[in-house]
Parts: sequence; C-alpha cells; structure tokens
Amino acid sequence: MVVLLVTKRYIVNGVFMPLPLKEVIEIIIDNTRKRGSPVPIPVEDVVGWAEGLNLPRGGSVVIYTGLLYQMIPYIDSFVKHLEDLEKSSVAPVLMKVGRVVGRVIDLSKIIRVPREEIKKQHDVIRNIARLLIKAGVNFGYLYEDDMYSGALLYDLGLDDVFLEHATKVHQIFKKYGVREIITIDPHTTHIMRSIYPKYIEDFDIKVINYLEILYDKKLNCRSLEIDVTIHDPCIYSRYENIIDQPRKLLSNIGVKIIEPSRTKKMTFCCGGPIESLSPSLSKNIARIRMEELSTLSKRIVVMCPICYLSLSRVKTDDIDLRDISDYLARGCL
Amino acid sequence: MRLTKSEEILEKILEAANDPSLREGLNRSRTLATAAVSKILAEWSDLTDLANYIREVKKKVIENINYYIDKTMRSVEEKARGHAYFARHREEALKIINDIIGEKKRIIVKAKSMVTEELKLREFLIERGHEVYETDIGEFLIQISRDKPMHIIAPAIHLTKERVVKLLGSVGIEVNESMGHAELVAKIREFLREKYIKADIGISGANSIAADTGSIFLVFNEGNISLVTTFPPVHIAIVSIEKIMPTVKDAFIQTLVQSGYAGLYPPTYIYMISGPSSTADIEYQRVYGAQGPKELHVILYDGGRINSINNAVLREQLLCIRCGRCEFHCPIWNVAGNIWGGDVYGGPLGLGWTAITEGLDKAVSLSIFCLLDGICKEVCPMKIDIPNIARYLKTKYREVIK
Repeated sequence: MVVLLVTKRYIVNGVFMPLPLKEVIEIIIDNTRKRGSPVPIPVEDVVGWAEGLNLPRGGSVVIYTGLLYQMIPYIDSFVKHLEDLEKSSVAPVLMKVGRVVGRVIDLSKIIRVPREEIKKQHDVIRNIARLLIKAGVNFGYLYEDDMYSGALLYDLGLDDVFLEHATKVHQIFKKYGVREIITIDPHTTHIMRSIYPKYIEDFDIKVINYLEILYDKKLNCRSLEIDVTIHDPCIYSRYENIIDQPRKLLSNIGVKIIEPSRTKKMTFCCGGPIESLSPSLSKNIARIRMEELSTLSKRIVVMCPICYLSLSRVKTDDIDLRDISDYLARGCL
Repeated sequence: MRLTKSEEILEKILEAANDPSLREGLNRSRTLATAAVSKILAEWSDLTDLANYIREVKKKVIENINYYIDKTMRSVEEKARGHAYFARHREEALKIINDIIGEKKRIIVKAKSMVTEELKLREFLIERGHEVYETDIGEFLIQISRDKPMHIIAPAIHLTKERVVKLLGSVGIEVNESMGHAELVAKIREFLREKYIKADIGISGANSIAADTGSIFLVFNEGNISLVTTFPPVHIAIVSIEKIMPTVKDAFIQTLVQSGYAGLYPPTYIYMISGPSSTADIEYQRVYGAQGPKELHVILYDGGRINSINNAVLREQLLCIRCGRCEFHCPIWNVAGNIWGGDVYGGPLGLGWTAITEGLDKAVSLSIFCLLDGICKEVCPMKIDIPNIARYLKTKYREVIK
C-alpha cells in the first residue's frame, strides 16, 4: 500500500513509461496461486450476490461465476494503481517492492473498493440468477468454493500455472458432483467450454452460457421501447458464436438494437485484455471503440464485465453503459 | 534500470500511441482500406472461394516444399531460360546478388519487396557503393525518411504531406508547400524516370512463382515495376519459397486473391515474367536481350521458412499471402502501426513472420501485447489462426525474458 501511495509523487506529467512487465506477470501468478485470483477478493464479496436467493449448495447443475464480475471493482483499483505507476519513473523499483509486500500481505484486505461498485456487480449476477429462476431453471451454487477460472493465466500463456489452477477448479466440481455449469461471462464460458477439455483429460462437464439458456426459454416480459447500441465481446462473437442470443433476448423486450459498423464477428476489442500490462494502451483502444459506439446512441449495452470496465474508464457522464442483464431484468423480472 | 526487450517495445508503442499525427494517418488509412476490401469482396464474391482454394494449394506446397523448390529451379533454368539460385540465409543471398552485380559501381532501381527488407538489401548495396533507388513511391519516401514502413502494402501512411514536401526537398527535388498531391507525384515521377533509363540493374521480389513454368508474377499499381523489370539490362528477382505455386494458373489466382484482400482490385497491373526478353525477327535467330533485360536471375530464398515447417504452430504462417488485411483491423496496430513488430513484419502477421525470419525470442517479446481478440483470424483470407500463434509465443515468455 505504501508503495502505491509513494508512486503518486513521482508522476512525470504526460509521459508513459513501460511497466516492469515481468513483475506484473509474477504478481498475477503469486496472487492466483496464493489467493485464488489474479486480484484477490474477500470471500464475502465473492458470494454476497447470492444472499437471500436460497440457492442450494452444490448439485449437478450449478451457476459458475468464475468470479469475474465480482473482481471488477478490485481490477479497477489495481489497474488504477498500475496507471499511476505507468506515469512514474520509479515504477520498476516500486513494483519489485510491491511484489514482495504482496507475497506476505493480502492487499484485498487493505485496498478500499467503493461498496456501491461491489453492489453494482452483485446486482448483475443476482439479476442473471433471478432470470434463470424465472425461466424455471434449477441450479445450485458453490458459495465460498466458487472459483476463478484461470482465463487470464491462459491468455498470458502461463500454461503451467493455468493447468495447476484448472486442476483445482476441476477437483472442486468433482467434489460436489457437478455435471453441468451455467456460465455468465464470455471469458469464463470460453475457457471452460473450449480450453479446459484440451488441458484436463477427464473434463466432461457440460458448459452452457446463461444467454444460451434464456434464448430457448419462454419468459413473460414487457416492452422497454428504447434504442441501444450493442457492443459484442470478441470472445462471444468470434470464439463462442454467441451472437443471435443477446439480440433475440433484447428484441423480445422491445429494445431496438443499433449495430455499429464493426459488429458481430467483426466486433472491435474494448482494450481490456492489455489492461494489466499497460493501462494507458488499453485506454487508447477503449477510446477508439467508445468514439464509435457513442456516436450512434448514448445507451450502450455490453455483455462482458471486462468490456464494461474498459469502456466505463473512457466514457463521458452522458453515456449510459449497462450490462445486458440489467435490461433483461428490467423487462422480465 | 535496464528495460527488457518487451519493455523497450512497449515504450515505443506508448510513444506511438500518443503521437496524434501517426494516429491520424493510421486511422485514415484503416478506414479507407477496410471499406475498400469489404466493397471488393461484396462485388467479387468468387474471391472468397478462390482464397479457400489457394489455402489448400499452399498447404500442399508447404508439405512438399523440397519437391517444389527443385521443380521451380529447374523450370526457371530450362523453361524460362533464367538463372536459378537457392539461398538458405541472408549471407548466401547477399553473396549471390553481389556476384551477379560484380565489383563495378552500379545504378540500381528497386521494386518494393518484403524479402529485400528481410535481407536489408538496399542498405547492403548502398554500403557496397552502388546507387540504389526505391521506386514504389511509399517505399521511396521511407528510403529518404529512414522511417520504419508502417504497413506491409502502404509503408508511408504515417507521413503527412508537409513532411513529404520536406523529405523531397532534402534530396534535391524541387517542391514547395503549396503543391498539391498530384504535383508532388509528378515531381517524384520525373526524378525516378531518369534513374530507370540509367539503371544497370533492376531488383524485384515476386507475388508468386509458378513451379511448372518458372514464371514470376508481380502485382502493382504505380507502373513502376514494369519499368524496374524491363528497362535495365539485368533483372534480379528474389522470391521467398512460400510464394511457390504448383502451376502458372494457381500463381495467377494467388495474385488476384492477394490484390482483392489488399483492397486494390482489379490491380492495375499483373506482370508475368517467364524469361529474359528476346527476339527472333532477324533470320529467326533467337537473340536474348531484345528490348528488355538480357539476363533474368531468380533467387529462391529460405530465410528460416523450411525450418519453421517442423513447428506445427508456426508453419501456418507460411500460408500468409501478405495482403496486410489483418494489420488494418488489429486494435494494437490501430494505435501503434508497425511499431508493434519486428524489423520487417509488423502487426498480427508480424508475430509469426518475425518468429520465422528473425527468431523466436524477438517474436515472443512482441507477442505478450496481443489481445487475442481474434479479428486477425476473422479477416484473414487464408484463415490463419494468428491468435493461436500469438498465444503459443506467449507461452515462451517466461523462458525468454530472464
């Protein structure tokens, strides 16, 4: 923490220095190994969304959050600190100290994250769960055994650390006798459905995304009568072919979809994947996308927590940026 | 504190990302080029089928590369009456070229060619005391600016008109700020005209080469390549081995596909060269060196490619026809151009090509900035799984960066 405070004093205006990349990667590895996710989250913030929903513990079908929505406020805070470091000439030294400190102290216990941001993300998951319940889907939850998927480790090419982590996740599923998982974001969906089976020999758990489930269900909904610009996450559209489902679900609730020129399989990245290595580069890309989306309408719908975070960093106050589940909940709950 | 290779690259990327005139240039070219390709593919829908066909043909060639190299060499010698050479690496290629040119100081005109960039041929020839001129206007501007080419087919997109005026002035071409684009082009044309006439040697690459006839194909729009390959008495073509196509028909189709996906269709010129110029108009006696070159030299260049065939992931890059479409669509390229790249190849296609031609370490350092967003694969006419190549390279990161 001290490290993060000190950096602010060394900010060189307007000049971006490369972060010590290996240190960042090692911090991500350390955190995932020791605390289960690239950015640690306290357990109450992992499970808080399920309060009052009375979901059974475990079961053959469970909602698997992969912790991505819950992690968003913590990622935001982590990346903001990195961004300060990026503007600082003493970043390499501080990152080394930071890593050593990070090994012994769980920063999630110290980092202050605004409660309303945590609540916002919890509301997304809660809405998704309530939509599934309304659609008549029976599912349980693993509560404090809900785990991060390891998606970032895989994307960074950290195969040995990824395999180590994925094996633990698989063990948990086996322990509870889980046969099918319902995923709620693109990264977790892709990693579980298309990558786990390649790395873990006996992985035979069925992976289904909540948008795919809702697409096939009859929900009694009202019409919202609004226009929104849609932003497809790369992972849904290009890797998992989830393109029609969100569109049909939105038009069912009277949402008129405005398609940007780069859409569906041709969608443009939000910049999120590079946020941990270079926050400013990530923002540069997000700005390109935001400019394109915001000229079409002030309402923008996203389907991925990473897209949400990246675009929210560069949005102006007049832009109404929301997760798709927010509209679905308004229309159908 | 010393920066790692990746951090050095990131430093340059961040510098580029915060350069408004570069951003403007990239954005303008990106918008125009992607729209042009979409329009072409909508209008000439058979190009997509032809691309799929070429992918299969290229796979076959790569699987039997030694057979096709031999066959091409024989065809160049026997059918095209050219001189065929095979160069495994840069030093071999430069020695061959040097032997062809000889010790005398020459005037050399060049077509734009990526493989000559790999060889750093222009620099080598200038060092040897020759007078060398790039004749593609973009590449000519790159030559006099000493900048890095920003895109594989549009190297000078980052240069503003104001900068171009300054650059041309610096080599003694009389231009001023008030001149329009057409006037500047006319001035460059005038300057280069004289060089073609005086040139002793013309050097080009090739977009494809036919194994059955030894014919090389060159695609261009400016008109410069016909002059480079026809005016001087000697033509040297350097062709990387993945450009080999089994037949003259396939070689031609490949040039159509490349042009379409590069956003220039139909291309203004496709030149097929099947030997030195000749005539038999006086008593039916065949004379080589009629009105075009007397000698044709074709150098097939390996440069790490054959070795990469053993790598199940990297070999896929050899299917690349270098249309540059992936660059225009890539988010990182959108902010940094070919600054995100190796010495020669940048953007998404640059990851695999850098690994093949400059070594794995360099490519690994670049790869960690890949977003894996997958647009490159989506727009690739050869459907190369570039994200898979990028992630493969990332897995080596912790080994490479100590």
